[in-house]
Amino acid sequence: MTPDQVDMTVDLGGIELRNPVLTASGTFGYGTEFSPFLELESLGGFVAKSLTLEPRTGNPPPRIAEAPSGMLNAISLENVGVEAFIRERLPALSDEVTVIASVFGTEIELYGRVTERLDGVSGVAGIEVNASCPHVKAGGIEFGQDPKALAALVRTVRQSTRLPMLVKLSPNVTSIAEMARVAEAEGADGLCLINAVQALDVDVDTRRPVLANGLGGLSGPAIRPIALRMVWQAASAVDLPICGIGGIASAEDAVKFLLCGATAVQVGTANYLDPGVAGQIVTGIAEYAARHGFARIADLVGALETPQGG
Amino acid sequence: MDPLNGAGRPANHPPPPELSRFLLAQSPAGPRDMATPPLHPPIRADGTVVEVRHEGGSNRRISLLVPGWPGSEPGQFAMLSPGARSAVPRTDPLLPRPMAVFRSQATDDGHLVEFLFKVTGRGTALMAEALTGQVVGVVGPLGRPFPRVPEAGACVLVGGGTGIASLYALAIREAPTAMLLLGAGSRDDLMGVEDFEAVDDLEIRIATEDGSRGEQGLVTQLLERVLDEAQSPPPTVFSCGPTPMMARVAEIAAARGATCWASLENNMACGFGVCLGCAAPIRAGGYALVCNTGPVFEASTVTWEAMP
Ligand SMILES: Cc1cc2nc3c(=O)[nH]c(=O)nc-3n(C[C@H](O)[C@H](O)[C@H](O)COP(=O)(O)O)c2cc1C
Ligand code: FES
Repeated sequence: MTPDQVDMTVDLGGIELRNPVLTASGTFGYGTEFSPFLELESLGGFVAKSLTLEPRTGNPPPRIAEAPSGMLNAISLENVGVEAFIRERLPALSDEVTVIASVFGTEIELYGRVTERLDGVSGVAGIEVNASCPHVKAGGIEFGQDPKALAALVRTVRQSTRLPMLVKLSPNVTSIAEMARVAEAEGADGLCLINAVQALDVDVDTRRPVLANGLGGLSGPAIRPIALRMVWQAASAVDLPICGIGGIASAEDAVKFLLCGATAVQVGTANYLDPGVAGQIVTGIAEYAARHGFARIADLVGALETPQGG
Repeated sequence: MDPLNGAGRPANHPPPPELSRFLLAQSPAGPRDMATPPLHPPIRADGTVVEVRHEGGSNRRISLLVPGWPGSEPGQFAMLSPGARSAVPRTDPLLPRPMAVFRSQATDDGHLVEFLFKVTGRGTALMAEALTGQVVGVVGPLGRPFPRVPEAGACVLVGGGTGIASLYALAIREAPTAMLLLGAGSRDDLMGVEDFEAVDDLEIRIATEDGSRGEQGLVTQLLERVLDEAQSPPPTVFSCGPTPMMARVAEIAAARGATCWASLENNMACGFGVCLGCAAPIRAGGYALVCNTGPVFEASTVTWEAMP
């Protein structure tokens, strides 16, 4: 078998993807930023930067810092707003590009309104609900950290759209399986995980956190084993398709997620290091499948051989 | 498997039409001469290390052969990934480093692109240890360049520390109506001075805090004197260096009615406007992205006291 004979298509909760490689929200802008570096059409698709109802500005700098094999970020809600996304960003993309819109807000009602606005907009293939936003009314805990808040959030967004709805889970929880079940029960079509892991680093000279915001989110290869563990646990807990995210920088990394039960993957921080990497991951996955005799990528999903009780 | 290695985008791939729009659509940080030529779209490429040379103190010069490099304008930069695409790819340090393009020249094998840097941390240390033939990931050219000086005007270039590297291409473009002021803690901290000295018709003045080269004192003191002696209209001031230096340069220029452009050097993760990590506070409110609205800003638009 040759790589181009491998059937790369997958179905992510009703979103037909030409291959399982997407790029992650917040790491791929609104798509066109990457057109100098790769053919956007060669990807399974991309998840746009999370959108709020109104344009928002973010946190004061420093907003990013290096971490061992990763980075910390505290960007907050900065985005162009849903109207500008629909009016200016979507039309700049070819119809051949699969775009998933990510939504967030500081209140459940706001998530619902952004989602409603996106419903029926041509060029939006699905909604990803970013559950890692601080819930202002609940004192800033992430929606995705509280099963009740997550249930209410998913229910509201479900009622606001007919599009396929993916729920992006927060890793900052005790039981990812529980959160996965909550999202499934409220009508999610698929799950995406993980978002960045809550973290802190300190500048000993100034005796302050390195980020102006104090806490930040850790992403990059440092979190990959955590992400694999969570994807595997979530895949074991629910029947929904899963999109694996966390530290993916190569085809080999991506294949690990598929083996652990992910139907597709998202490449995040690695896009910064090499803005063409997602395209190479597509090619590399096909090569892996051909080499190992998998005619369909879908056959790789969950093919992990686990030890007894593992 | 080498995750980040692979063929770059072919050099003859036509630039996507939306790119220049994208670069220019960002709200400008100040009035700009519209005669600025359209910018080259960036490429991603594997740069091959030709040489890493000592430049005094902890300064180094890295020369990379970059296939498909389209050339750059004064003030533009590239993101260099020190370890990611080596034979054994590294994930630590992970992020690429923004570096001003010092100089580039076409050769038969691609462009030879030079960067001057100071070893300050793990990324730059790794780059300093790079061996000839090793590969460094390159994404560039990025950012919006220094605008042109108005017709018949003069200019003063003020460089401090590693910021000096950003000014070389500008010095070449603006000589012979440019004066260059360089500042550093000590002689060893100055970089690229011999290259600047070789630029025809460029007047150079140097200040070091310890007096080991040029005058003893701060480069901002030189600037005050130069501007006070300058004829009207005041020259355009360009600066790149540590934030306190650029803030002071902005103040000095403003007090004398001189237009001042500053090239900011924030931390960056991507360099092309997607991570939103490089935000600089601006007077009009909110933040501007240093990587694609800048790195060059009209100095009076920057909220210097809130800079990181
Ligand atoms: C700078 C930055 C900004 C991000 N912004 C968003 C965002 O707006 N919405 C979202 O759902 N995730 C956001 N993420 C999280 C990523 O989508 C991804 O879940 C996370 O980085 C883990 O994947 P990675 O290790 O491949 O980067 C952001 C991550 C980074 C590094
Ligand atoms: S460095 Fe990523 S947006 Fe500027």
